[in-house]
Amino acid sequence: MKKYLAATALALCFATSAQAAGELNIYAWAESISPDLIAKFSKENDVKVNVDSFTSNEDLLTKLQAGSSGYDIATPSQHFLRVMIDQGIIENFGANKLKAYENIEEKWRNQWWDEKQEYSIPLAYGTAGFVVNTDQYKGPTDSFKYFFEPAEELKGKIALLSYPDEVIGAAQLYLGVPFCSEDQAEMKKVLDLLMAQKPSVAVYSSDNIASRLASGEVSAHFWWDGDSLRARKTGSPVKLAMTKEGLVGWMDSYVIPKDAPNHDNAVKFIEFMSTAENATEQMNFYSHSSPMKVIADKVVNTKETAPELYPDVPITFSRTLGRRAGPRDPRLDAASPVVPLSRRGRPRRFPIPSRRLPCPCTPASAPSTRRRPIPSKS
Amino acid sequence: MTDSALHIPAETARAPRARFWHDLSFWGLLPSRLLMGFALILPIFIIAAVSVATRGAYGGFTWDFNLAGYSQILFNEGWTGELEFTPQYLMIIGRTFLLAGATTLICLLFAVPVAYFISRQPPGRKAALVYLVTLPFWVSMILRVYAWMIILGKDGTLPKLLETLGLPAGMSFMFNDGATLTAMVYTAMPLMVLPVFASIEKLDGTLIEASHDLYGDRWVTLRRVILPLTAPGLTAGAILVFVPSLGAVLEPTLMGGGKQMMMGSLIQLQFGGGRNWPFGAAIAMALMALVMVFLIFTALRAARREATP
Repeated sequence: MKKYLAATALALCFATSAQAAGELNIYAWAESISPDLIAKFSKENDVKVNVDSFTSNEDLLTKLQAGSSGYDIATPSQHFLRVMIDQGIIENFGANKLKAYENIEEKWRNQWWDEKQEYSIPLAYGTAGFVVNTDQYKGPTDSFKYFFEPAEELKGKIALLSYPDEVIGAAQLYLGVPFCSEDQAEMKKVLDLLMAQKPSVAVYSSDNIASRLASGEVSAHFWWDGDSLRARKTGSPVKLAMTKEGLVGWMDSYVIPKDAPNHDNAVKFIEFMSTAENATEQMNFYSHSSPMKVIADKVVNTKETAPELYPDVPITFSRTLGRRAGPRDPRLDAASPVVPLSRRGRPRRFPIPSRRLPCPCTPASAPSTRRRPIPSKS
Repeated sequence: MTDSALHIPAETARAPRARFWHDLSFWGLLPSRLLMGFALILPIFIIAAVSVATRGAYGGFTWDFNLAGYSQILFNEGWTGELEFTPQYLMIIGRTFLLAGATTLICLLFAVPVAYFISRQPPGRKAALVYLVTLPFWVSMILRVYAWMIILGKDGTLPKLLETLGLPAGMSFMFNDGATLTAMVYTAMPLMVLPVFASIEKLDGTLIEASHDLYGDRWVTLRRVILPLTAPGLTAGAILVFVPSLGAVLEPTLMGGGKQMMMGSLIQLQFGGGRNWPFGAAIAMALMALVMVFLIFTALRAARREATP
């Protein structure tokens, strides 16, 4: 009996290790990586590629924190990338020594979220704001006012993402509150704004945004630039609002989790995706802007055809709890920064940092100017 | 021990006591024991341990004993750090019980006549009807909920139907507690029909006739004969529907628009965007405790019923 058990156990071990030799498990934003490129990579390198998708940075962080996720590549946005580095859950794979590093446009190298570009290679960047269905809503869109304090026309016709990430940022832009403010009065204003908006909100969801907006189930949805562009190109009557308060910026990067089982394949894949040719194809598929050196005349979404990607309003990159708020900080343990409750009777959807947090936001090396315009592509 | 040993035949009692791993049934049962241990009992202990751990800054937790997770169910830490009583989570717990209870009641109301009807059919048709009841299980739960989104949503089947009947166009029934309840009832219905059917099928028709012979009208027959005899099936169905309904996540998120939370979605939020694992684990423990109370209550009632014939 025992012999059989041992034999089975051994056989299982061999089976899994043999299978894992040519595998790559990617955890990326839903529909973010070109399937054609994945097929090409898979064929060229004889690697079986599995892609799982997430719809929020929070989901990704939770999964990686839980450990042994089995993923080889993940694509967090800049502020969560910073958190992951500080938490030590992603690997320093010497990104700045790769060929991929040379392909990053100079202006996007060594940003505050990865100063030495050791942990990540960027994949895409863009903005987040609200998108309207122009068949349903004809009113003005040049301010977040119409979204956060909707007129009768939009009441009950608004949808937000189901995670605080960029939504809080947009509310802060509207109110003129700095990102990650520690001033409780200012954060109270953000809370009050979102609570006052809640009765007008039909749904908080990060899934199925395209169909919800195109079908007219809602008339305005918080969304991302490239997704809105893709929807418009497939015939949906949608428009990204160019809000004068600015838009929330983000940049997603490839990272390798600490426990990645197929580390080498992951590096290979990152190199593969970062060549000028493939980065261009990826950009054309994803419809977001690319931080890589791309082949200019092969780029489909130019300033003329895709105004969504070339906003003329200021961009502010999202931040979240940063490096100085380490988990071992006793002050932080004592504080309860995320209290998903309002004091006025309804569950609060958006975590609000509490007053007692140590300065969570600004890493020492962060540039002093808060607003950072996205330079137009050369 | 000595008492029961007296009844054991002498030769068995004298035989040397076999070690338990020499017993074949130990090995035979081992897989199920391991499964129970690793997939059921161990996770509960982990959740219990996390619920008294200290939250990490970015989610996760550290192994420092802390009851903050439990105190947060009742108390909110104010802007200045003082604890103040907060009814919000109790409201979520209340809403959860209300919706789960309503789901159970509605399921009962529909399931009893359906099960009764099926049980009075000829055998062939009976099998076919039971098969039809179980059919939804073949489809993924998320798809079944999506189907309701298509039925109730804007330009969906129901609004279109009402439109042709002359009611105003463009109505949407989505994103409220009613939509949540509809989907919950729909997904839970087979779980109610099957146990109720099993007990109604065993109901002896002659007893119903006897009741009528004794001048019992339909109402009395239902109340004094049918219901007491089918009570075990009804209880089983109620437990099967009520307990999973308490943990519903998909329905409030998809159908309710994620605005009015239930305990399931609250737990999910704490492990995700809320980044407060100990609190999420504490709510999970509270949910489990409430389910236990409910189950013990029904078990005690059943025991009492059996004790008093």
